[in-house]
Amino acid sequence: MNRIIVDNNLRSWLKELAEKYTLVAPVTSDGVTLFKHVKGSQVDSLDLQYSNTAVSPKGCFFPLSETMFSIGSDGVNVIAPVSTDREVVIFGIHPCDAAGIALIDRVFLAEPTDTHYKEKRDRTILIGLACNAPSPECFCPSVGGGPANPMYLDILLTQTSAGYIVQATTGKGKELTPAARMEEKDIPLPPPPHVTPVPLEGVSEMMRRNFDSPYWDRVADRCLHCNICSYVCPCCYCFDIRDYMGKDKIDRVRSWESCQSAGFTMIAGGHDPRPTKGARLRQRWYHKLLYFPELFGDIKCTGCGRCVRSCPVNIDIREIITDVQKLNV
Amino acid sequence: MIETIRNKAKEWLEKNDGGCVIGYERASDGMTARPVFIYKPYMVGSLIFDETCVHNLSKYLLNRRGLKTAIVVKPCDSRGINLLINEHQLDRESIYVIGVVCPGMKDAHFGRIEDRPLSKCRVCLHHTPAVYDVLVGEPQPETASRDYSDVARIEGISIHERNAFWKEQFERCIRCYGCRQVCAGCYCQECFVDELDPLWVGIRSGPEDNWIWNIGRAFHLSARCIGCGECERVCPVGIPLMLANRKLEKESADLFDFEPGMDAGTAPPFATFLKEETLEKVE
Repeated sequence: MNRIIVDNNLRSWLKELAEKYTLVAPVTSDGVTLFKHVKGSQVDSLDLQYSNTAVSPKGCFFPLSETMFSIGSDGVNVIAPVSTDREVVIFGIHPCDAAGIALIDRVFLAEPTDTHYKEKRDRTILIGLACNAPSPECFCPSVGGGPANPMYLDILLTQTSAGYIVQATTGKGKELTPAARMEEKDIPLPPPPHVTPVPLEGVSEMMRRNFDSPYWDRVADRCLHCNICSYVCPCCYCFDIRDYMGKDKIDRVRSWESCQSAGFTMIAGGHDPRPTKGARLRQRWYHKLLYFPELFGDIKCTGCGRCVRSCPVNIDIREIITDVQKLNV
Repeated sequence: MIETIRNKAKEWLEKNDGGCVIGYERASDGMTARPVFIYKPYMVGSLIFDETCVHNLSKYLLNRRGLKTAIVVKPCDSRGINLLINEHQLDRESIYVIGVVCPGMKDAHFGRIEDRPLSKCRVCLHHTPAVYDVLVGEPQPETASRDYSDVARIEGISIHERNAFWKEQFERCIRCYGCRQVCAGCYCQECFVDELDPLWVGIRSGPEDNWIWNIGRAFHLSARCIGCGECERVCPVGIPLMLANRKLEKESADLFDFEPGMDAGTAPPFATFLKEETLEKVE
């Protein structure tokens, strides 16, 4: 037996949630789907069949830009950023994006904890939607996920012809589940859709052996060194910090940055340990396929396919993985 | 057509040891194209040319300054070469231009080829490259009438509506600088948004910062934008950047009767100053 919520009830529940919580959900406008704050009145028009959003929802916890603190014009008085106690519900997040947040957690929630991230993480509830239309460039099962993987979510909804099967996996999720709006039915979980696998065996070891391979310069030939791949990625988390002087205060602001930027590793005195395009391109793949696995045991990728889809010059992580496995040491 | 491109590339590589041919090969989706760099004559077999070759490859020439390079260009891309030569960024002698008469490109994205022309191709005037050493295909007559109906539409709304429109578009900018990195006209050693001292814009993202970046970018390309549409194609959040570029293109065409990149000898209006020029006082 599974607990089912029909579409009408789901939407009335979401409207109720929008009253009490800040509700964030995938919204399509101008042909682009992005996670946005939605009001109760927008709930009826939410598209629950969406393919992955153009940009991952990591910005809900790790915003594109955020003021960490400010200093008053006296140069002494520290002003904490305005924060809210209002809890956030992210609705409609796909399992791959939840997995991306879990990967960032390992870094930002480890000691010393990133307080800005933790504060947002603690007051957010994740209501996932099993992905029923993976793109050809998706490969979540190869990196430990799956289109209907309930891990890392508080609640997972899986669409069936009779409504959505509701699986609450955490205490927060169970508490939020709308018992009165659901009914028990003898409807099994549908089999997850097929996703083409990418064999990853031995990739970290091959990366270790091929740091100096000319292969990286050849791939970098066509790389434009924009930051698209890192910015659309659900688990790239690099940032940089600048101080912005205003009329009556100075804001210390951190913003997304990318290892692909020319100035990212530039240090005082003008030295750049990654001065070439090849060295910068290589860093991103090494972080994903070797350094992160060495530190945390898992590849830093959720197989969401965004970088594959968004790269203007078709630098394809699946191809990198297969090529590296074939490189001669 | 493709055999001619491959043969010309092979001949050139055989004569230019250490050179590189920049062209197109099949992408990993098996249906669209991607840029390829070919260093050996035997590798020319991977070169392709079809209606998915949307990329403007001329930006890559800046990575090969002073090195012998052959490049496959469509008419719009070829104007990038003229722009860069005119602005003293490239040396014409080191480049061998394989110009291709363009049939018009399809709206091709990774894994998907839409059955409609790429938006820039709908308003394209020039179907034969503006610069080439070898021409592949028969020269085609130019399209005589300009179509600025897209610009007229946005000119037709009130200033408040226009402001609201652009505000909404720029709000979703993630400042990935894909538009800058792909642009042949964007080659400043240090972009104004990367400067640390003074911190004009920096990496902060927000409505005002995004506004400054996007408007700054467009104005920096006024009377310089060659209309290749790459900025708009690569934008991961679908900002209609060409609409801003084309408004400025129309202004420069009307004011100066100038089309950027049509030849390497004519400098863009904002890079020239004539003694007889006077500034009209704006009341």
